[in-house]
Amino acid sequence: MADDKDVLRDVWFGRIPTCFTLNPDEITEREAEPYYLLLPRVSYLTLVTDKVKKHFLKVMKTEDVEEMWFEYEGTPLKWHYPIGVLFDLHASNTVLPWNITVQFRNFPDRDLLHCQSNSIVEAHFMSSIKEADALKHKSQVINDMQKKDHKQLWMGLQNDKFDQFWAMNRKLMEYSTEEGGFRYIPFRIYQTLSDRPFIQKLFRPVSPEGNAYTLSDLLKEMFPAALPTEREPKRYQVLIHGIEPLLETPLQWLSEHLSHPDNFLHICIVPAPSD
Amino acid sequence: MAAVTAAAGGVVRTDSPGAPERSGRRSSESWKRHVVRQLKNRDRNQHMFQDLICFYTRLLEKNSLAKGIISSCTRRPSDSSSSVSSLLQQNDQLKKTTGELAYRVVELQQQIRVKECVLQQQRVRLEEEERLLERASDARQELNMRVEQVKQENRAVKAKYDSLLERQRAAEMSLRQAEDRGGHLLEDMIYSKQQAADRMNSRNEHRSRARAMKLQRGQQSTVRAKVDIDSPSSAPTSRSASPKNEACGSSEQRRTRLFRSVSLSSPRFLSSIRNMFEKRRGRSFCSLEEDSMGPVGICLAARVPVRALQVLEAHEQGINAVRFSSRSDLLATGGTDRVIKLWEVRAGSLTHRATLDGSTEGITCIEFDPIGARVLAASYDKSALLWRVDNSVPKLTLTGHNRKVTAARFSSSSHQVVTGSADRTIRLWDLQRAACVQEVEVASYCSDLVCSENRIISGHYDSKIRVWDSSSSLTCVTSRVGSCIQELPAQGKVTSLDISPDQRQLLSCCRDDCLQLLDLRRCSNARVCFRADGFKCGSDSTKAVISPDSCFLAAGSADGAVFIWNATTGNLETHLPDKHSSSISAVSWSLSGEYLVSVDRSRWAVLWSDL
Repeated sequence: MADDKDVLRDVWFGRIPTCFTLNPDEITEREAEPYYLLLPRVSYLTLVTDKVKKHFLKVMKTEDVEEMWFEYEGTPLKWHYPIGVLFDLHASNTVLPWNITVQFRNFPDRDLLHCQSNSIVEAHFMSSIKEADALKHKSQVINDMQKKDHKQLWMGLQNDKFDQFWAMNRKLMEYSTEEGGFRYIPFRIYQTLSDRPFIQKLFRPVSPEGNAYTLSDLLKEMFPAALPTEREPKRYQVLIHGIEPLLETPLQWLSEHLSHPDNFLHICIVPAPSD
Repeated sequence: MAAVTAAAGGVVRTDSPGAPERSGRRSSESWKRHVVRQLKNRDRNQHMFQDLICFYTRLLEKNSLAKGIISSCTRRPSDSSSSVSSLLQQNDQLKKTTGELAYRVVELQQQIRVKECVLQQQRVRLEEEERLLERASDARQELNMRVEQVKQENRAVKAKYDSLLERQRAAEMSLRQAEDRGGHLLEDMIYSKQQAADRMNSRNEHRSRARAMKLQRGQQSTVRAKVDIDSPSSAPTSRSASPKNEACGSSEQRRTRLFRSVSLSSPRFLSSIRNMFEKRRGRSFCSLEEDSMGPVGICLAARVPVRALQVLEAHEQGINAVRFSSRSDLLATGGTDRVIKLWEVRAGSLTHRATLDGSTEGITCIEFDPIGARVLAASYDKSALLWRVDNSVPKLTLTGHNRKVTAARFSSSSHQVVTGSADRTIRLWDLQRAACVQEVEVASYCSDLVCSENRIISGHYDSKIRVWDSSSSLTCVTSRVGSCIQELPAQGKVTSLDISPDQRQLLSCCRDDCLQLLDLRRCSNARVCFRADGFKCGSDSTKAVISPDSCFLAAGSADGAVFIWNATTGNLETHLPDKHSSSISAVSWSLSGEYLVSVDRSRWAVLWSDL
């Protein structure tokens, strides 16, 4: 199982090199230099961009500053998706570093949620964990935890402490051997070209006959078009943490190892690059 | 990326509904390997920016710093006129800040000093605590050691206890064996005793038959003699009659009384009559008046015992008193165990007949009444008790003395009793009224007393024997103890008194190991002392007796030997040692003269005889 631990580590320490540039429309006292940063895939944008904000505020007058938000090639980036998901969804096949535009005005209220402080991120994160555990264990595990255990999960994420986080998260990943897996797999399937934010349905990890379901079984059920056919060239990429796992990978294992800290398995389906 | 998609496609192809299970294991590893490989790939692509970004950030910082410096430099030369003043101002400001800073330095140094002080104190305290801790740990170690020591001691004590237990068990075992052996010995002894008794019985039978034969021969010879006497002389008709006739004729009143106690047909009676006559002939003095006072003279030849017929453990504790009944068929013993035991004397052995109880303390003195129907005893419980021989419950209890009663005797009138006590009084009791009729105070502890016809004689610890007048005794009802008419000196504390059956002689036993015989008729101080080598008066209540024929004196010594003196010669007649193991407390001579019984302090009674 050393491999599994390595996988968890790799997932946790996944970084995206990012270049933040100020929106040229912003009023500045002088020219703003771009700011480069390695963003953790499993974290949230507003949680890791304090330095970015500080950098750009140096060149701006305070009266021109409103709430900061980000966009990529004209798309506002939702802070409540994990950074990795945003990258996979919008910029998976582009050249690194990832160019994000920083804006301080004209907050797109229709597209984005306001985020005044980290406590809002925490609330969102915790509610996701609770939702996931409701699917996995009927909320039994998360309800058995104490307040400080919940805090430990959050602090682990906030301070990028792998061991601290997993010491607690391990419990959320347990399941009874006779059932062979969680009750339902908490997953979300994101698409670029859709009005729906994501697909989320009840899906068991094991078939009634006792066979483990695989990623391909999930896609067959949820998004058959993502499955490659023999006749056509591949149309979609199925990305989790920036990689394409084999379709025969068991869903239960994926849920245990490739889930984000919020315990959801975020799957991005993006069009295959044309070249 | 193309390879990846190809691999993915391949998997999908094998994942058709009929996919064989055997590919499962290989593929299960392959998907995991795939994921790991892809993750590494991803990281390799993305992490190469790390250093770049680092350098960039650093450059950015330096840049902004340089910009700041440049901007301040460029601002300075802009207006030199104001710059001097501004510089001065700056200088002032700098000075001020320097002063402030110096002040703060001082302040901080002071704080540092304070903190150091505190630190020093804390260090001292720490050291102190450490010392305390060390001491405590030392104490703890010591306590541990002591615990260990105590444990060891406990172990030793336990071992000792175990060994003692073992020894106790062994001792119990040996005790049980000894008891078994004792039981066997007892059985053997009983068997041998029975055999001895049988032998004795047969011998006695033999002897009595021989005696009967002898008697017959004697009768024949007397018949012949009578014939001889009748023919030659006729002078003293009354005397020449047969002894039987003479006895009947001379004093009818007296003889009837005598006959009550002695059966006529008994051969012993006849022989004793004969003995009496012989004795009278031998001793010239004979007063009819005195002879008639009691059932005396029936035995005129006491036999000096030579050997023990029976040795028995009569009581559970020491025996203080012993007395034969006047018919010599009954023996009473009384001891510290509070009971009087009656023994039947038959064929040379003692058989337990009855036990008289009722006293709450030890018995000090016993007497039978003249006809042998009642037993009088004095007791340590400050009372005197009277039983009927056939009833074990006391008929009367005479209470009134303040201390132990040392002597109780029937007075010459048989319905009265005289008692002497350690409370220095002598009391006279009326048995019909069961009450004390008179009390006489004496100067000293009364150890024993005897009653004669009209006198009461008491022995005392102040080495005096006092004689009291109980005259006018003929009017029985008004019988009183008069004044002390005589005081006779003795050599030491008087332990016992005995009066001869003819009431002529008084025997006293003293603590100076000397028996003293007084002639009462001569009111002189003529007395004979009897001593012997080895004779030692064992206690303050050792009792000596005169034999029924007044020829011998018997007393028991502290060493367990019985001493018998000849009263007439004053010589030691015999000395019977070895039967008693402790001090003899009392002896009694049967009125038949046949037996002597001695009792001792260690529960044993010995029946002596000459057979």
